[in-house]
Amino acid sequence: MNLTRRGAFGLVASGAASSLILPRFALAQADNRPSITIAVQKISNSNTLEVLREQSNVGERVFFSSLWEGLIGRDWMGELKAVPELATEWTRISDSVIELKLRQGVKFHNGDEMTAEDVVFSFGSARMFGDTLPVAQGRTIQVRGEGIPTRAGRDLPAEVPAVARRSWPALERVEAVDKYTVRFHNATPDVTLEGRLSRYGSQIISRRAYVEAETWFDWARKPVTTGPYKVAEFRPDQSLTLVAHDEYWGGRPPVKQIRFVEVPEVSARINMLKTGEAQFACDIPPDQIGGIEADRKFEVQGGTILNHRLTVFDKNHPQLVDARVRRAMTHSIDRDAIVESLWSNRTEVPKGLQWPYYDDMFIADWSVPKFDQAEARRLLKEAGYKGDPIPYRLLNNYYTNQTPTAQVLVEMWNQVGLNVQIEMKENWSQILERSPTRAVRDWSNSAPFNDPVSSLVSQHGPNGQQQQVGEWSNDEMNRLSVELETGTDRARRKVVFRRMLEIAEREDPAYTVLHQNATFTAKRRDIAWKASPAFAMDFRRGNWGG
Amino acid sequence: MLRFLSIRLLRAALTIGLVVTFAFIVLRMSGDPALLIMSADAPPEAVAAFRKAWGLDEPLWNQYLSYFGAILHGDLGQSMRDGRPAIQLVAERIPATLALTVPALIMKIGIGIPAGIFAALHRNSFLDRAVMITAVAGFTVPSFVLGLLLVLVFAVQLGWLPSGGQEGWRHAILPIITMGAGGAAVLARFTRSAMLEVLGQPYIRTASAKGVSWRAVVRHHALPNAAIPTVTIVGFMVGSLLAGAVVVESVFSWPGVGRLLVVAVANRDLAVVQCILLLVAATMVTANIVVDLLYGFLDPRLRSGVKA
Repeated sequence: MNLTRRGAFGLVASGAASSLILPRFALAQADNRPSITIAVQKISNSNTLEVLREQSNVGERVFFSSLWEGLIGRDWMGELKAVPELATEWTRISDSVIELKLRQGVKFHNGDEMTAEDVVFSFGSARMFGDTLPVAQGRTIQVRGEGIPTRAGRDLPAEVPAVARRSWPALERVEAVDKYTVRFHNATPDVTLEGRLSRYGSQIISRRAYVEAETWFDWARKPVTTGPYKVAEFRPDQSLTLVAHDEYWGGRPPVKQIRFVEVPEVSARINMLKTGEAQFACDIPPDQIGGIEADRKFEVQGGTILNHRLTVFDKNHPQLVDARVRRAMTHSIDRDAIVESLWSNRTEVPKGLQWPYYDDMFIADWSVPKFDQAEARRLLKEAGYKGDPIPYRLLNNYYTNQTPTAQVLVEMWNQVGLNVQIEMKENWSQILERSPTRAVRDWSNSAPFNDPVSSLVSQHGPNGQQQQVGEWSNDEMNRLSVELETGTDRARRKVVFRRMLEIAEREDPAYTVLHQNATFTAKRRDIAWKASPAFAMDFRRGNWGG
Repeated sequence: MLRFLSIRLLRAALTIGLVVTFAFIVLRMSGDPALLIMSADAPPEAVAAFRKAWGLDEPLWNQYLSYFGAILHGDLGQSMRDGRPAIQLVAERIPATLALTVPALIMKIGIGIPAGIFAALHRNSFLDRAVMITAVAGFTVPSFVLGLLLVLVFAVQLGWLPSGGQEGWRHAILPIITMGAGGAAVLARFTRSAMLEVLGQPYIRTASAKGVSWRAVVRHHALPNAAIPTVTIVGFMVGSLLAGAVVVESVFSWPGVGRLLVVAVANRDLAVVQCILLLVAATMVTANIVVDLLYGFLDPRLRSGVKA
């Protein structure tokens, strides 16, 4: 065998390379954690993975608790209450200032340690607020109308500061007290600061990774955060691959790779589960559950989530100007029948637009208007309703069971003499279009944090969608909204909240709650994993294989 | 010939212009991209900011002039959802779509035309009936039904093939068969009808009477004359190579132009929809021009007609 100098060098080099490669290969071989595939209807509506742009239920599913984490997190597998996450403790300095101690040793996906600087940057103008300014609640929020991200590349999309200001209307600044301590200064007293810190959109990013990203969209497709899984590949409208972040502060993640695959057709998702191409199939309609569970290899998990389905009224419509007609509509709905027939009792009728996780703000003795056809007829007679048509703008199953629910509602209203007529629409702008035919429509409301400000004020208050699109307004409600937002006396706030529910659900109905929404996930029965009472899918250690 | 081409190109430009204008108006009149991309629950301020940023708050005529001006400069716009040039998004999806539509087109031609010829040559026989019953079944069953049926049998029951996605050649088999089956059936029926019509012509009888072999009669007299209607259909199929797989791509979760179109329409991602429609119209128009030229090649009488 002739060994030249060049050959010898090659051998040495290849040997060295092998020594570098082999241990890693061996490590990879030793990593016997499973990889899973999850078939979902949609991964992201906005084609980004940035919490300030993708504000949706489908986004919640892939973001929490796999990718994004906040200072204060949520108990995803419990009652969704606020729990320490990237902050270990917090203290109120005053009604408008809160101090948080950061968890030490938290590593971002790029290996950097999380410090107060990252927190300050996460809530800064470059990443969140653009050139908007904090203002007192109830007033118009200034929004920058320039900076299209696709043109300049690095500017914030115009909607990001608006979304951020909606979450933090009066946040003045975040101060780094030391490397592991931050203070949030609000412009007004706010008892919901802790809640706002736990809400969708208040998560922490790596300052270095954000600054180094070439464009905002590059960042938004591969955000660098602290979650147990990091983005390996995101193909918009197709798939999202997350891989384990082994330096995760909460311990080595139990799954090696999570792959979300976008499969629009429900039958195709179920087929992927049955063929073994996917281990989970999400967004399963209630009427498919029996068929899936007929095979003992599979089960369907899930149930109610923090989201209520509503019927919404436009009080400007000639037939609905008189509140008695709207009240009659709320009394003629047999909600239990809807839950039983269309949801197989897998959801429930809640106590109005509120959730038990409001804790001391939850009004336990409140309820939706009673199903009382005699009362409905009496109200219609008093109002002098003559049977004129009331249009009902409807999307085709945007919500689960939306169309059959609408058909049932129309029949129920018809039984008391209400002439409600369905008008099918293609999209939301057609539903919300201001015109004489806008009267009744569907909606759903969530509570991003554990206070009624996050739902009743946010959705139906003066800055809420219903008032912004001109469907409904009530002077007393608007005054009380400001009081609920800025008040610090919890007993008084609860009185205010009750009064607001009376106005919006009983006296001058803006909407009526039909039932709590639910989501269902089909999976292989032999996988030890539990669904959370939310869209979020938890693949952390405590919820896998135990 | 130059005049013929000039007229065709002028017509093509006009057709594309009309398609683009129609799409522009309909898309903007039937939905607000801001609400659709950001969802109905988005804060009103965010919706307003989005509209302003993308010029959606400007008068329609102003938007139209800007859009048309940009097209003339080769700028097909930016995706509102993705933040990238629309043409880049569409171009990324074209290979996936062609990976289905081209083999499906080959399958349509490779099965449909021979089957049609075979049925015509065995007119009213058992074989003719069998081919035609299969063909009728092929084009009456909607592609989404056939697709689901194939998945049920070959993926769920037999486990031979994957049910969806795009991760290798095996994933393409069922979508190609789903697309190819319907098109082959259509071609078989058209080819059979055209052949039967030609086989009944006096020149076929004359050729046979002159002692030309039946095989030669079919090859040199029947097939060229029966080709014109078949070429028309094939031309249409070639024209729909880019956007002809909308349903199949949805059923099989295949990330091609068809699925991009569905998502873009649903979200009123205006630039992307318009870009796809522009490309589809251009492909269709080009295919039509090529078919027109082929007519002249297949039938010299049409060439002289052009000259006249």
